[in-house]
Amino acid sequence: MTRRLPRLALGLPAVLLLLVFLILPYAEMITMSFRTSQPGTMHGAGFTADHYRNVMSGGLYLGALARSLLLALFITLACLVVSYPIAWHLSRASGRKALLLYACVASPLMIGVLIRNFGWMIIVNVDGPLNRVLLSLGLIDRPLRLLFTQGLVALALVHVFTPFMVLPINNALRNINPAVIEASRSLGASRFATFWKVILPLSFPGIQPGLILVFVLATAAYVTPALLGGQMVTMMPTLVVQTLVGTFDWPLGATLAVVMATAALIAVVVFSLATQRLMERVRA
Amino acid sequence: MSSLEISALCKRYGPAVALDGVSLTAGQGELVSLLGPSGCGKTTALRCIAGFIDPDDGDIRANGVSILATPSSKRDFGVVFQNYALFPHLNVAENVGYGLLFRKGSKAERERRVREVLEQVQLVGLEHRLPRELSGGQQQRVALARALVIQPRLLLLDEPLANLDARLRDDVRWLIRDVQQASRTTAFYVTHDQAEAMAISDKIAVMKNGKVAQFASPREIYQRPAERYVASFTGEANFLAAEVERALGGGLFRVRAGGATLDVRGAGPFAGSAVLLARPESLAIVTDGTGQLEGRVVKSVFLGAVQHCEVVLRDGASVRLGTPPDRPLPADGTVSVRLDVDRTWLMPDAVP
Repeated sequence: MTRRLPRLALGLPAVLLLLVFLILPYAEMITMSFRTSQPGTMHGAGFTADHYRNVMSGGLYLGALARSLLLALFITLACLVVSYPIAWHLSRASGRKALLLYACVASPLMIGVLIRNFGWMIIVNVDGPLNRVLLSLGLIDRPLRLLFTQGLVALALVHVFTPFMVLPINNALRNINPAVIEASRSLGASRFATFWKVILPLSFPGIQPGLILVFVLATAAYVTPALLGGQMVTMMPTLVVQTLVGTFDWPLGATLAVVMATAALIAVVVFSLATQRLMERVRA
Repeated sequence: MSSLEISALCKRYGPAVALDGVSLTAGQGELVSLLGPSGCGKTTALRCIAGFIDPDDGDIRANGVSILATPSSKRDFGVVFQNYALFPHLNVAENVGYGLLFRKGSKAERERRVREVLEQVQLVGLEHRLPRELSGGQQQRVALARALVIQPRLLLLDEPLANLDARLRDDVRWLIRDVQQASRTTAFYVTHDQAEAMAISDKIAVMKNGKVAQFASPREIYQRPAERYVASFTGEANFLAAEVERALGGGLFRVRAGGATLDVRGAGPFAGSAVLLARPESLAIVTDGTGQLEGRVVKSVFLGAVQHCEVVLRDGASVRLGTPPDRPLPADGTVSVRLDVDRTWLMPDAVP
């Protein structure tokens, strides 16, 4: 018994941390989502499921949810396409070159979210450096209006989420025995066939967590869409914040947050189940 | 199925020279071993043949045609890797059938061919297992089957038995030899194990520091080694310093060695000093007065079927030999040793 105690004690901080910062807040939020709304106070006295009925029947909310999930999906896939070649080069590099590449990959995370987004604003401004360069090169006739567009939001999010995709894929690629690639080539497979049949499946243990991480992050992204996307298109996180802070309707805001989290969770679970067989085959 | 000719192959990695003018030939259906310690360049040579690395200089020709410009995917060479390098996400049948995906033939033909090869390497019934569900010996068989299924022009084996335990090693070695013979496939076999090379090869290239020290049949390598390095790498060897008195003609030389005058075979010419190779089996302790050498037993070890002795000869050289275990050694250790001169070999004492 005395020997068991230290092990339990080791796990205790993690359990406490999860309880205080994950389970309790979610429990509180779920409870809040079933309370009645009452202007002027945080919530009314009774409980109701009206908010869920309201959210599920309202085109405004479901539309925002669908837009958020679709944008997140697009960002995730774009991130994968951008990140894979980077991860490949990173996995082949060693020594100083690897160190430099790691620093480059992590660079989007080294700047605070506000500074980074103000940076984007400055760069893509009608009068900004990007437009000036493109104009002087004669590639465009008129300045591009990029600020407050969905495209810019997607670009900025792909940029900042790239490390979350590159690093796990890099890890998985490093775990592939180079002789397996040589074996494929010697058996007659072209470079493309080798990539498609050997490298890609064997790097899936990195692709899967990368996709999940970026998708979840992109679904919940608030600051970047708020700053670079303007007020033209409503996204789910923006709605949540507006409801909580703007109209001060905490029960409805909590409902929106729960719906959004549940939708993201379902997407992740479905994706994990769909790729479970592949994962089982390729796990090291 | 083809012959392969390697000429003056060179490969440098910075200041390190991995291959320094390697020339070899393998006739059609021959199995050639590259034998040497780690770092001698044998694997580099094999990787050049496979097309995984490009040599800096020299040429490799298959059936007389240079293949250096051909990528490994177009060489049609089956490679068996040291760590098997099976595709971990594909089952046995998919691993074996992989090479057929890039060749002509229907699905049914592919399946028939896979079954055929799996029968050949005795793996029928394991088609749906993943590599990690197989034992080391089974994985090695899959690797062999995967290389054979494409009916390669050349089979390249890189230390295929290194990761197997001793008992399996014998089985798989015979299997490799059998299927190689049955398919008449030309093969290169990299190993650091001389017994393995002896047992399996038509020809052996003993490699040393990126060069071929000797390229000949196993018998020739063992019995008539070109130099001390080759002799000691291919088995237990005693070396006696020999003073060459004169050539007797017909490959015979009169030498003084181990305190006696002997007429021995060698591939001269020799000037002055040389080294006489006497394998343990060419030496025997005798009591019938036919021994040419006198010495004293300083150590003896009973090994069951044989007794190993170390004998210091009159001139101070020590030799190892085997004697029947039931014959008692003289109490004072003084013995007479007979040297079977037909089984000795005179070599130059230094190689340029």
